[in-house]
Amino acid sequence: MRRFHWQDSFLLLLLLPGQCWAAASLEALPQFLRPDPFGGIVTPDQGGARLRSSLYDARHRVALKGWRGGYVSFQLVVESSAPAAYSLEISLIDPAHKIQTDLFREWFHFTDSDKQYYPDALVPVHAPYSSRLPDPDNRIAQQTAQAFWVDVYVPPDAKPGMFVGKARLRSGASTVTVSLQLTVFDRVIPAEDVVTVDHNSYGSSFLAEQYGTAYHSYSGNWFESDQLFRLIHAYHQIFYEHRGIMHQLGYGHSGKVAPEFAPALAGTGRTRHVADWTLFDRHYGPLFDGTAFASSRRGPRAIPFVYLPINPEWPASYEFWDEPGYEAEFVNVLSEMERHFREKGWTHTDFEVFFNHKKRYMGFPWDGDEVRFPKDIKYFLIYGRLLKRALPPDSPVHFVMRADASWDMEQEFKLLKGVVTVWCCGGGILSFYRDAPKTLRDRGDVVWYYGGPPGVTENAAAITEFPLRAWLWGVNGYVHWLTVAPGEDPWFHFDGGGTVLVYSGDRFGLTEPIPSIRLKIQRNCLQDIAVLDSFKSQEPLESLRSEAAHRFNNSVLDDWWNPRPALADVPSDQWQGSAIDAAMEHTNKSLAHPGVSAWYNVHEYALQLAGEAK
Amino acid sequence: MKIVHLLPLLSTLAMLGHAQDNPAASSTMREELESVARVGSVMVDGDVCQRIVTPLAKEYMFKVDPHNEWQAGDNYDVDDVSFNITKKTLIRLSHLTSFPSDVNLWMPIEGHPGKIQMVIRNKNEMSQFWRWGALYQDMTPQMETVLKTGQRVTVMNRPDWISVLAPVYNSSSDIVGLIEAVSRGRMDAHENVK
Repeated sequence: MRRFHWQDSFLLLLLLPGQCWAAASLEALPQFLRPDPFGGIVTPDQGGARLRSSLYDARHRVALKGWRGGYVSFQLVVESSAPAAYSLEISLIDPAHKIQTDLFREWFHFTDSDKQYYPDALVPVHAPYSSRLPDPDNRIAQQTAQAFWVDVYVPPDAKPGMFVGKARLRSGASTVTVSLQLTVFDRVIPAEDVVTVDHNSYGSSFLAEQYGTAYHSYSGNWFESDQLFRLIHAYHQIFYEHRGIMHQLGYGHSGKVAPEFAPALAGTGRTRHVADWTLFDRHYGPLFDGTAFASSRRGPRAIPFVYLPINPEWPASYEFWDEPGYEAEFVNVLSEMERHFREKGWTHTDFEVFFNHKKRYMGFPWDGDEVRFPKDIKYFLIYGRLLKRALPPDSPVHFVMRADASWDMEQEFKLLKGVVTVWCCGGGILSFYRDAPKTLRDRGDVVWYYGGPPGVTENAAAITEFPLRAWLWGVNGYVHWLTVAPGEDPWFHFDGGGTVLVYSGDRFGLTEPIPSIRLKIQRNCLQDIAVLDSFKSQEPLESLRSEAAHRFNNSVLDDWWNPRPALADVPSDQWQGSAIDAAMEHTNKSLAHPGVSAWYNVHEYALQLAGEAK
Repeated sequence: MKIVHLLPLLSTLAMLGHAQDNPAASSTMREELESVARVGSVMVDGDVCQRIVTPLAKEYMFKVDPHNEWQAGDNYDVDDVSFNITKKTLIRLSHLTSFPSDVNLWMPIEGHPGKIQMVIRNKNEMSQFWRWGALYQDMTPQMETVLKTGQRVTVMNRPDWISVLAPVYNSSSDIVGLIEAVSRGRMDAHENVK
């Protein structure tokens, strides 16, 4: 890595009122080497030391390469061994003013588990950005380094070619400059992803908790305010801008529906009907017609999927379960929903009938989520029949039944054919059934698998394994089960981030979420996968996948599957945890610990293919 | 022995005293919930309740596997016919109040004195006692009083909340569980939507 020092031997401190100037340096790092606040690299990323030089060309410029319609990312680190004030700016010269640069201050989270600092939350800042070391906000004793994430956005209509620029650090009377060179290739990253990455969440309470400034200062019912809906839309926007989607479940395990997730109902039995669409339409209208994304760089687009509030207690009362009144209530309201959505032109979203409840939460007597007991499958068939009754067969509105499947997935694939068409599968158990993705997709079903985000204590490339696996497996996507829960104190006592990929901007005076390094790396990975997949017209897809797996962790495609275990022929309610773990031994061994360079190597492969394509 | 009997009594008196300090729990609310609890004791069939939680669920409920922390929950199962019969009754009981309320079913666990489990919850997701996600928990003194004496007990442990606990009997006149008729002064439309 090239390190740019200014006034190397001139260590004069210029003491100005309220601040002191000291020698500072500016260095650039690739995205996979996360800095710590003391001038080093966080321990999990230290194995990728060779990546340091990859960022530079022979003339010691930061050499960035990218396709149009996407982002190129790197980091800048301001370092000073003594307290110092500084100002950082960055510029790329594009005569057409198409290329844009986003600068983020990296927050160093102190993790309680290992008593270390890791950068993750990215606070948007404007260049030139002025601050001092140690950072007064992050409050780290002896801090000597402040990191910044740089996103360079290259729009699809940017001109291919070379662009130059620089990052400039001013500290006291001296200036340090890092030269930048961006090569923009002719290729445009496909706008459509081959792997959908979903970011799941539950309810809206987390918004009130994480945006206390807005919530506590609002005089009326905040949950019916424009503030809430703007905030919800901001969450969808940030995931969309990072090539992902978001789900927000609006009901609890006993069927309680938060008002902003459903139309208000009135009547009972055959008179049950929608009484008021107001809140629902304010919440979802801009998401279903795409106007919520009007200012996005990716352009307006309707969200592709959404949870409906439907559960065993809504819209029909469980009091009438298995009686004509239940069917009447369900069919009445579903019919009204179909009509309302059709009249609104909301025909680009898949409306999911999804049962999240588990019997262990004592609301209902069957598992909607992760069926374990085969007897519970009958409930899906009942709702399938009710849906058929409620919806016109030729409706342009897409109602789909979704099931999150684990133990019993193989049986469900068979028994619920034509009823469930969106499958969200436990990744471990899906790995037993290599033929399943193709079988399901050939009949028109959507297949995702699920897990959770890697914590910040894993290496920076860890998050790329999930989208890659989805692509190698030939499934449609991957679901992070929870991505908006940062824990009680993410800033100074972090739980590691296993349930968060975006943070509240509240403590920084922002009324919207802010991204994370892991989200950025995931987005960049998705760009690469979209590009890799686009070469399938020139090269067999299996060959592309094989090479990507090889570059990622020296694996072969077989390593990503487990042999079908004897367990698979035993009824799922007799499966126990240890046997499942044993059945996953092959992948656990083969895929353990991909290195920090894993995705860098895949990215290089994509670049190589692009070069060959030229 | 006397102490054992006195403790629940004192506890009950303390709760009632607390109730008088709670303006949100109006006398109307208390009266209606007490009425629901009284009717519920008659209407909820204890024999059916005893068939809800399956032997498999009971077998695993207290098992601990260091390699599988979800083992008990993963094996939690109920008899859906008994569950549905009882749940429908509980829902109808909640309709007797002029305000939103829930009627929950709690049952002690055979072989595990001092422990109790929530067996059925309802759509407002309200309870003064349930620890969210717990398969079982410690029995409170008020619950113990109901199960031992058959008395109804009004509980206002949490500000703004009111629960009336009442016994559930089977055909042998044994107290096999209790119902919690519960509401609160200010409804929270978002609590437990997760």
